[in-house]
Amino acid sequence: MSVFQTQQLAALEQAQPLNWLADVQQAGKAAFADTQWPTRKVEAWKYCSLKTLGDQGFDAVQPAAIADAEQLQAHINIQNLDASKLVIINGQINLELSDALALEQVTLFADANADQQAIIAERLNAARQQPNQHLFNDLNDAALQNGVLVQIAKNSRLDKPLHIVSLNTGADAAYAVNSRVLVELGTSAEMTLIEQFASLSDDADNSFTNNQTDVRVGDNARFNHYRLNMMANAASFVGTTRIDLQRDANYDAFHLGLGSVLTRNDMVINHNVGGSHAEIAGIYVPQGKQLVDFHTCIEHKVAHCTSNEVFRGIINDEAKAVFNGRIHIHQDAQKTLAELSNKNLLLTNKAEINTKPELEIYADDVQCAHGATVAQQDEKARFYLQSRGISAADAQVMLSFGFINELIDNLKLEAIGDWLRPVLAQRFGREQLFSAEQTGDL
Amino acid sequence: MISIKNLHASVEDKPILKGLNLDIKPGEVHAIMGPNGAGKSTLGNVLAGREGYEVTDGSAVMNGKELLELETEERAREGLFLAFQYPVEIPGVSNLEFLKASVDAVREHQGKDALDSVNFLKLAREKVKAVNLDQSFLKRGVNEGFSGGEKKRNELMQMMLLEPQLCILDETDSGLDIDALQVVANGVNAMRDENRSFIVVTHYQRLLDYIVPDYVHVLADGKIVKSGGKELALELEEKGYGWLENGEA
Amino acid sequence: MNDVVNPAAADMPNQEIHQRIRKEYAAGFISEIESETLPPGLNEDVIRFISAKKGEPEWLTEWRLKAYNAWLQMEEPEWAHVEYEKPDFQALSYYSAPKSMADGPKSLDEVDPKLLETYEKLGIPLHEQMALAGVAVDAVFDSVSVATTFRDKLEEAGVIFMPISEAVHKHPELVKKYLGSVVPQRDNFYSALNSAVFSDGSFVYIPKGVRCPMELSTYFRINEAKTGQFERTLIVADEGSHVSYLEGCTAPMRDENQLHAAVVELVAMDDAEIKYSTVQNWYPGDEEGKGGIYNFVTKRAVAHTNAKVSWTQVETGSAVTWKYPSCILKGDNSVGEFYSVALTNNFQQADTGTKMIHLGKNTRSTIISKGISAGKSQNAYRGLVKMNSGAEGARNFTQCDSLLIGDKCGAHTFPYIESKHPSAVIEHEATTSTVSDDQLFLCRQRGIDTEKAVSMIVNGFCKEVFKELPMEFAVEAGKLLEISLEGSVG
Repeated sequence: MSVFQTQQLAALEQAQPLNWLADVQQAGKAAFADTQWPTRKVEAWKYCSLKTLGDQGFDAVQPAAIADAEQLQAHINIQNLDASKLVIINGQINLELSDALALEQVTLFADANADQQAIIAERLNAARQQPNQHLFNDLNDAALQNGVLVQIAKNSRLDKPLHIVSLNTGADAAYAVNSRVLVELGTSAEMTLIEQFASLSDDADNSFTNNQTDVRVGDNARFNHYRLNMMANAASFVGTTRIDLQRDANYDAFHLGLGSVLTRNDMVINHNVGGSHAEIAGIYVPQGKQLVDFHTCIEHKVAHCTSNEVFRGIINDEAKAVFNGRIHIHQDAQKTLAELSNKNLLLTNKAEINTKPELEIYADDVQCAHGATVAQQDEKARFYLQSRGISAADAQVMLSFGFINELIDNLKLEAIGDWLRPVLAQRFGREQLFSAEQTGDL
Repeated sequence: MISIKNLHASVEDKPILKGLNLDIKPGEVHAIMGPNGAGKSTLGNVLAGREGYEVTDGSAVMNGKELLELETEERAREGLFLAFQYPVEIPGVSNLEFLKASVDAVREHQGKDALDSVNFLKLAREKVKAVNLDQSFLKRGVNEGFSGGEKKRNELMQMMLLEPQLCILDETDSGLDIDALQVVANGVNAMRDENRSFIVVTHYQRLLDYIVPDYVHVLADGKIVKSGGKELALELEEKGYGWLENGEA
Repeated sequence: MNDVVNPAAADMPNQEIHQRIRKEYAAGFISEIESETLPPGLNEDVIRFISAKKGEPEWLTEWRLKAYNAWLQMEEPEWAHVEYEKPDFQALSYYSAPKSMADGPKSLDEVDPKLLETYEKLGIPLHEQMALAGVAVDAVFDSVSVATTFRDKLEEAGVIFMPISEAVHKHPELVKKYLGSVVPQRDNFYSALNSAVFSDGSFVYIPKGVRCPMELSTYFRINEAKTGQFERTLIVADEGSHVSYLEGCTAPMRDENQLHAAVVELVAMDDAEIKYSTVQNWYPGDEEGKGGIYNFVTKRAVAHTNAKVSWTQVETGSAVTWKYPSCILKGDNSVGEFYSVALTNNFQQADTGTKMIHLGKNTRSTIISKGISAGKSQNAYRGLVKMNSGAEGARNFTQCDSLLIGDKCGAHTFPYIESKHPSAVIEHEATTSTVSDDQLFLCRQRGIDTEKAVSMIVNGFCKEVFKELPMEFAVEAGKLLEISLEGSVG
């Protein structure tokens, strides 16, 4: 057993379990304890080494939130975004910083009423049966105390996006945060969820976050999702997103992996009933010695569903990116339309990309296509820019940014795009020339 | 040429044709018009033998043979040609290869020798030119990446090459601009002779200005509810189909 | 595209496609030939026996034993998406030879007429006067090579084309230098097994600057029951030389599964070119999935500076196929190509693809893979494109297309793409399609029957690969597809 496992199991002993969730917690704990720490021989972790993480211990005791609210505010606000905010600091909901509206919209597992308890238990048990379940999901089940439930009733819509900010402050001793979000959208319900994972400071945060978000999108419901991974360099993150789509349900998502020593995201989208559609875009931009790994899996279980997935990555310095995009068309999933595209740019000769777009098809009357490219920048375009007096380095930055900016431009919440552009520009060592205000009328 | 009697046909157990009668003599052109959902396209598909179109009653005798008992390809070899409303694309199979296989099959059935590739190519080039398509279309995949108009002209080109006895044009005019329509009509008119018959299924009277029919039939609710000369088409254009709905004619 | 009257029409299952016609596997006959077959089982003595039987030098016996000991330590691989009953390695016989070969025929005239007859039946006449013009054939029957044609003519050009068992004696320096140089003994479970027990196979050496005057071909035939075939092919193309090589394979219809675990090594020195084509038609088992060959093959090439290696394969046979002809693009500007058609029907399973390992600068690779699945078969493409840190300016283009016929089969694509160089460019595309009802109806309405229509569509789908085959084999490959599909098309 790895140091990581030993220490997490010890921490679980200290935790106070919720009685009505004891079964799930026990099952998770047992499975977590039984799993051999994955080596690179395990296909799911082939390109994503867990060796360093496994040798590391993380405290269960989470440091208290720091008092400087002003400093915090700077980290949790997205300019011009009208959203209700739920602020979670080091795994604990912060009542002062969270909006009252957001607090109304979510239910802590610990506060759930009998009906909600039934829903939560049912969902958690179902989640354990999902494909690609790994040991961090087991750990998450074992440590469920701080989970939250978001319920959107039939035919209702959240007027404002719900913005859940998970902020880690970092501490002398590294600590672990396990967090869980359950979302339940009723028939024809609609909401936008923004999940942002961030660090208070770039140097201090060496925490480990294990987040899992399970969403059930009811008949004809719409779920818009932004999952923004922006942890500090030293922070490790393992995240799982599972989306269950019912009849005519719609999932529209944007995933960002900025990069850290370990940023791993697993996503499973289940087309459970006909007529559902999933539209997923994603960007990863690791630098330094960072690792970003996206494992996505689209399960077309039934006929007449569609999915379209586009991921782009730019890998700089000595960083490494992994993209594993699986499309699984079950035997009954006739008339499926599924497309996947993954494009990558390597900026240096120490950067590395491993991509695997997989198709697994058991139905004949379907249209599936995937494409993956690894390319260098267009020499002609670079030359054109240089011929206009732009330096080679600047040209590279401009072209790189253009490569991902296409996806940013498509975001439905423009405020998020406007907010991300300078963050990404800075990532490539370039100041944004024009602010959103300057070009808003263009 | 063909005698259709009391034809009943269903699609997925839903009756579409409900006792259709039609007699066509050699050399005649019959236009079939009617509102959406009347069964116009079904008629062509049933006669050509498309799967999923179940004949529940009636007969269709062409040149003394019961069509409905033949396989699709046998009907084609007997001289029945359906110009599709939406010709399907077959990537990877070149037009030329496809046409050769088709012409060979029909000629073999007629007891004629297969054309050698030189003569076949010569003939194919001629026909491509006649429908105003570029020669390169012969090398491209069957209908692959063709525009709507090009697909229709490709259908016409095949018709010219196969020289069928009974041609069914299923809404061949839909979606064509006036220039393309003229090309198609000229092609059809050039093929008219005393031994060849046409069923022209259309939604628009406009086509009949270019391909002048001997008879016009109105198909409504699976039956022919009114027949007349070419002037009936003008009347329909003017009055619509509403006045026929009750089957008073 | 669908008719307006009934948009649901396209939903209807195509009964025609699912209708089955039973056609016999044409190469399924058994030859009544007396054989000397080693009793089942594998141990060091068996290996010494095989080695002694061939009068091998000491170094080769040791080489085999080393491989055997490595194999003992290895575990049989498990593959996702491939299910089969694992062979019992102690129940197999590792050596079988027609008895009449015991003393070794000196020329074709001395070869057992029954053997010659077998090859005639397969359409491969071994008498030179009858042989395909311009193709030299080496025929391997169970474990041994029975005849190699056109040897004199090849010798004139300096080309060595002979059974590897003979090359061990006549050209020991070449065999010793290159055997295991591309596929090391312990590369994988089956290559280790092959290294221990390989019986025969072809050896080819093309000297510097020589363009081999004719196509070279090896024809493999498994006849004896309960035997495994472990042939070993080694082709060395010296600097600036050129060779085109083709292998064909068949086996009788038998109820039990038979194992074929070959190793093929290609060495293309600077500026050399090797074109290696395979038409694999091992017995695929019957409609219920009973019997058939397990085809577990390791094929790999090393391409030195400016060299080019091209693999073309048409795979229609075998119950289970596991093979990934690969190129190690070691030298700068070297080129690797992989063109593949893999067809599976009934209960066949194929897991095939390629590995392109780019080490040198400006290396290029092209992968065109066409998978056709019918019946209840499973057909997977599994490939690796790897750009190492020295692969400056390297390029890869991959196109993987799947055609599914019927709704009980599966088509899968698992491309691994790894890049460590910023100037390397990799493009991968994959699509899937079916033979639609609408396409068949259009063809039939034009007088073309269903079988011909499917064959046209399937051939069109495979066109890019067939054009890479030598002319006469392209025709054969097309026919082979037609026959192989006859179980699935009405």
